[in-house]
Amino acid sequence: MSLMKIDGLTQRFGGLQAVSEFSVEMKGGELMGLIGPNGAGKTTIFNLISGFYQPTEGTITVGDTPTAGLKPHQVTSLGVARTFQNIRLWHDMTVLDNIRIAQHYRLGYNVMDSILRGKKYREREERILEIATELLEAMSLTEVAQECPKNLPYGLQRRVEIARAMSIRPKLLLLDEPAAGLNSSDVEDLIKLVRWIHENYDISIFMIEHQMKVVTSLCQWIKVIDFGSTIAEGTAEDIQSNPAVIKAYLGDDNI
Amino acid sequence: MDFILQNILNALQWGSFYALIALGYTLVYGVLRLINFAHGDIFMVGAYIAYAIAWFLLGPAFDLSPLMTFAIAIPLTMALTACVGVTLERIAYRPLRRKGAHRLYVVITALMCGLILEYSNLAVLGASRLKFPELVEKTIWHIGGVTITNLKVIVIFAAIAVYVFLNFIVTKTKIGMAMRGISYDKFAIPLMGIPIDAIIVFTFILGSSFAGLAGLLFAMSYPILEPFMGMIIGWKAFIAAVVGGIGDIRGAFYGGFLLGFIEVGVVTIFPSTYRDLFAFSILLIILWVKPTGLFGMPQSTKI
Amino acid sequence: MQKYTLNVLMAACAVFLLVLAHFKIIDNYIQAVIMFVGINIIMSTSLNLVNGNMGEFTCGHAAFMCMGAYVTSLLSVLCFGKNFGDPLLPQYMAMFVFPIMILAGGVVAALTSLLVAIPAFKTRDDYLAIITIAVNYMVISAIENMDFVGGSRGFQGMKNTVWAMNDTIKGPWMLFWVITFTVFTIWVIRRFITSTYGKGVNAICQDEVAAEIMSVNTNKIKLVNFMISAGLAGCAGGLFAHIIGYVNPQSFNILKSTEAMVMVYLGGMGSLSGAVLSAIVFTFLMEVLRSQSLIDFLLAPATFVFPDWEPSAGVIKWVMIPLLLVLIMQFRPEGIMGNKELSDVFPKLKKYYTFK
Repeated sequence: MSLMKIDGLTQRFGGLQAVSEFSVEMKGGELMGLIGPNGAGKTTIFNLISGFYQPTEGTITVGDTPTAGLKPHQVTSLGVARTFQNIRLWHDMTVLDNIRIAQHYRLGYNVMDSILRGKKYREREERILEIATELLEAMSLTEVAQECPKNLPYGLQRRVEIARAMSIRPKLLLLDEPAAGLNSSDVEDLIKLVRWIHENYDISIFMIEHQMKVVTSLCQWIKVIDFGSTIAEGTAEDIQSNPAVIKAYLGDDNI
Repeated sequence: MDFILQNILNALQWGSFYALIALGYTLVYGVLRLINFAHGDIFMVGAYIAYAIAWFLLGPAFDLSPLMTFAIAIPLTMALTACVGVTLERIAYRPLRRKGAHRLYVVITALMCGLILEYSNLAVLGASRLKFPELVEKTIWHIGGVTITNLKVIVIFAAIAVYVFLNFIVTKTKIGMAMRGISYDKFAIPLMGIPIDAIIVFTFILGSSFAGLAGLLFAMSYPILEPFMGMIIGWKAFIAAVVGGIGDIRGAFYGGFLLGFIEVGVVTIFPSTYRDLFAFSILLIILWVKPTGLFGMPQSTKI
Repeated sequence: MQKYTLNVLMAACAVFLLVLAHFKIIDNYIQAVIMFVGINIIMSTSLNLVNGNMGEFTCGHAAFMCMGAYVTSLLSVLCFGKNFGDPLLPQYMAMFVFPIMILAGGVVAALTSLLVAIPAFKTRDDYLAIITIAVNYMVISAIENMDFVGGSRGFQGMKNTVWAMNDTIKGPWMLFWVITFTVFTIWVIRRFITSTYGKGVNAICQDEVAAEIMSVNTNKIKLVNFMISAGLAGCAGGLFAHIIGYVNPQSFNILKSTEAMVMVYLGGMGSLSGAVLSAIVFTFLMEVLRSQSLIDFLLAPATFVFPDWEPSAGVIKWVMIPLLLVLIMQFRPEGIMGNKELSDVFPKLKKYYTFK
């Protein structure tokens, strides 16, 4: 059984074919990259995986479950977490709260429990707090736990966002341009962080990235798409010498 | 058949009032993303201004003929009502906008301004209703079994003219382009060298002056004035604007007529006490089916 | 220790007020004002749940109050009144059945809120605002067309229940119930909104897309939030009907909704203590400005210039209050408390109480 299988994924917006015939299979434990020029349909693929759009054609299966017709929160509870291209934290709540709320799907109590606050409620809340504290500790965010993300520097916000996604305890982590807007030392930290996550958790990572440094130093396998279709895939070395990729990025004349 | 035609005509007249007021709502909303809840009361103020002008011009000081008064009252009412609208913008909304207050606080301020207008009117003029003088001699035409009054024709014609005029301003002129630009991005517009405050004032002038026109025409058609006349009609016109798709000129126009038709339709079939119940239920269903109104574009969220 | 101070303080206040009322040390008027403060606190805190914490803009909160008021009144008259024949229940039951009737009104109001909550899955902001206004008009209009509850003439007979309670054990029963339900409301809201479950509401307010993708079932949370908010407003309606002893659909029109909105935005969006404070301030303002002599005094210069002008307090009040609010908005555009709680503004208070 594979972790996630995408088969013939196609998405049209009106006349625009944003993604066509995209297929990928993740067995578990990979660190895969998805690159392509701007507007190639990378984020659309992520939105399709996380259930924000329903695909025009093709199937996405997470574990044994086809995600067709599922709401984003249901897909997430299958173990697919993601980050966003421009950081979407809940900026007016503390970092700790951000991490706690992201565990909504395994709260295991309902409204009445939250008001009556019986034994079940206290146990569940303690468990959630425990997970959150552990995670903050592991991601070295304990010091900022009571800060609001809007007051944190950009690099740290990224880290909080990844921590929030990790609090879902995902089997598959989708990172949408995690290095966008970071300076070079932050990028170094990010590479370390992603590698650390990959080594310490039983997790597959699928990332969109533009910075070649990040992609080449992290990803074992890279898929390149342009105008929605896959134009190449392989290891970092294969990709860098692939004429189709160079053409997509630099145009014809440069060959 | 005549019965239906007659009701269609009535619906057109009611729809015209709704459309005229809804256009003002939608203009301000389209530019500022602000629900100007005081707009219904600006309409009421417009009616009172028209009354004052008519009383003054017909009175011994000028002693003009009713038709002459009507001709002068139109631009004068529009101008004075526009002043009221601009004053509100200047003293209540603009400082808040400058301070970067939350959008809803501006809305609440607008609501409060509406209350101030209503109740200060009530305090100053008292609860007695005013009778609007007859400016245009009522002519009634009978075509088949349908009675058409010249006032109805004027009202419907005015609504259509205002719609065409606004549509032209917003889509064809430079200032209209600036207005549409502000609604997209309030922060980029000043950087493009467009005087944002001037455009907003212009918007308020347009919206309020047509509310004034609606007030004048309303007072002529239903010549009883009272301080709360703007409240219900204002809320309803706002609903009409939203059902049409708020921020869209076409939406306000057709939404206004739609509401007019629904109301008149309900009243012809059911007892008139059911008017609000049915009218609002129908509007609710429309919004359930099309959550952004008839002409509104669905807002796409970019991730 | 701090955990209980506030509860003890509130209980002490409540008992103190009740004792004062029981021995007629505070007269009926002051009791009525305190009861309206209670009702307004329920209204503003419950609306705050939707307009503040969830960041929606609903302006038809009075509709739910109306539903609650009518359902409770109907039950009350059926059980203890004489409008529809003999009372169904003996008098001594009144004090036990009364809270159940209030809660029943709340439940029906919560169900009515589905009219608003289900469209809220798909739409936000001003479109939702319209739906709420439309629902407000619909509810009023529907009740005006129901003859068995008196239609637009209004409905009465609820005082029988209050008298029934009073006959069994003498005491300021309505004051007792209002205080109980006010405390109940604050307790429910506070607990809901501080649990991780309820914080999902704030997450929806700040970024709905992120909330949905971070496993928050946004539709369910919205539904729950609307229903709690409307249910509590329904309870307020039931209490209101029993204080006045008469309900009329027009007393729950847009103006009533506006009052609730004003209290929320005056207090600061999303601040529970702000909503409570502003409800108190607002009610007292309304009462103070009702005095004709104060209005006459304030307007003395104007009446001196125009001696014919006789302003009535009931009208001038509605000029003064909005004016005051507009001024407050100009100087403090985020409301009294902003989105902070009392213990955030005065951190020292944390030493003395926590309220969970």
